[in-house]
Amino acid sequence: MMRRLSAIAGAVFLDAIKRKVVYAVGFFAVVLAFSAPSLPSYGVGVDIGVYREVALALTFAAGMVLALALASNRIPSEVERRTVYNVVAKPVSRWEYVVGTWTGITAVMGAVIAAFTVIDQLVGLVRYHDAMWQLWQGALAIWMEIGVLTAFAVAVSAVSGAVVVAVATLTFAFVGHSRQPFLQQVPGFPDWLYPSLDSFNVINPVAHGGGYGALYALIMAGVFAGWVVALLVLGSLGFARRDL
Amino acid sequence: MTDTQAPAAVDVATSDAIAVSGARKVYTVFPQTKRVAVEDVSITVPVGAIHGLLGPNGAGKTTTLKMLLGLVRPNAGTFRVLGLDSRSRAGRAELGFLPEQPYFPPQLSAAQAMRLYARLAGLPEREIKPRTAQLLELVGLAGQQRTLLSAFSRGMLQRLGIAQAIVGRPKVVVLDEPASGLDPLGQRDVRNLMLMLRDDGATVLLSSHQLSEVEAVCDRVSIMSRGRVAAEGPIHELLGVAAATSVTVSGLSGDVPPALTALAGEATVVEGGLLLFSVPDVSVRRVVDAVDDAGGTIVAVAPKRESLEDYFTRMLSNDSGEVA
Repeated sequence: MMRRLSAIAGAVFLDAIKRKVVYAVGFFAVVLAFSAPSLPSYGVGVDIGVYREVALALTFAAGMVLALALASNRIPSEVERRTVYNVVAKPVSRWEYVVGTWTGITAVMGAVIAAFTVIDQLVGLVRYHDAMWQLWQGALAIWMEIGVLTAFAVAVSAVSGAVVVAVATLTFAFVGHSRQPFLQQVPGFPDWLYPSLDSFNVINPVAHGGGYGALYALIMAGVFAGWVVALLVLGSLGFARRDL
Repeated sequence: MTDTQAPAAVDVATSDAIAVSGARKVYTVFPQTKRVAVEDVSITVPVGAIHGLLGPNGAGKTTTLKMLLGLVRPNAGTFRVLGLDSRSRAGRAELGFLPEQPYFPPQLSAAQAMRLYARLAGLPEREIKPRTAQLLELVGLAGQQRTLLSAFSRGMLQRLGIAQAIVGRPKVVVLDEPASGLDPLGQRDVRNLMLMLRDDGATVLLSSHQLSEVEAVCDRVSIMSRGRVAAEGPIHELLGVAAATSVTVSGLSGDVPPALTALAGEATVVEGGLLLFSVPDVSVRRVVDAVDDAGGTIVAVAPKRESLEDYFTRMLSNDSGEVA
């Protein structure tokens, strides 16, 4: 099983990492990272914190765009071009194909987010003489959230087309960060039922504080694993019932 | 093209390599329209045979293959390969599949793609490199290991598709239009490959609408029309016209003696100005003599046979159209 999963994930990684969209988004993210310190709203004494906040936001935005570009069309295009036949006609379970696809894309996102973080660090080092190691804590949270969003996109794409996937994933991300306003507007709604991604929002402690602790990282990893498993199970069930 | 490594021994206890029984597939088109793609199809292929699946577009060939391979969920029917459920992982481990007009992740190289499919087929790690080199040479892609698939032509992708279909040394190989996109040399290579696979003990199920491809290699054929098996048997029996022979003649250039016309009927002028007579088997000797007497030359004497196109046309016109 692990051999088949790693084979699919490896092929997805190799195929995705060479796509032009990865380098196009990366290029603009780098331009923005270099531009961030010159934003006019910086005040004396808070500029480092604001830079970290902007760097994390840019990393998340670029990662989100890239994850959507890679995940929303991966399975639909494989089905449309029939490349999926060469995989699922072999002794491979449908769920292995879904999970392998998610793993490959999430690995690409890990590499891209790591590259962004290195660039953010370099800019910070040059501009503020601060290595900003806590940005890696932010990068880990961003990667986990992007992983959840990728799982959502892959799950929806197992039964739907690319446009529906992109719109649904954006909606999911928006809803996932609207927990507090929603609960305030709908008193009595059980808060545990609301699909929240707020656990991954670590901008304040990373940008303006001392980062987060090991326990919080474990909680975040648990939320990440729960979301990913649930979404990939749903996606696998949908894909298993699909005629190709 | 030769393969130096034969597939693993076939389970001798199983006489049928492929056994499809009562296959049925109904597609539901939004919102409620139902379209019957395959209606009660049964096909049996003995171990070591090359079996053709013929039929016009929309006959249900590809849907039948997809059900066999677990790509499409059937509404009814059983699908077995070497005694195993062909839709299970164990069953698919015995199968190799070339889809019609195969396509691959464009950013992978040929070697990377072959590595992926070899690992999925369960080939041991140490065998992947030599097997990849061997198969790429076998299908005419030697030296292309590092070439990105985005740079491959249609024919090269087809050849790679064949290589990935047999990378795991499957005992049963399902080929959907394998000669599609290939030049005549490539088509000949594919025919030789199928014969080689049979010689190595594998069973081949070939779906095609090219009569020449099928008749060159197939032991038996199933002809599908409108979701059903309309006929099954050796192709020369299915397409043969009972008790009739075609006699092809040169050297008469339309100046056919009345005696010959009386004996053989009107001739059809075919390519190169040759005359084609369709005569009863019992009259062949006398017709040959009459041609000789008239100064003509016998070019060919062969059992008369319908063209596949004629067969399909007749079959479709006879079909009651019960299947949508």
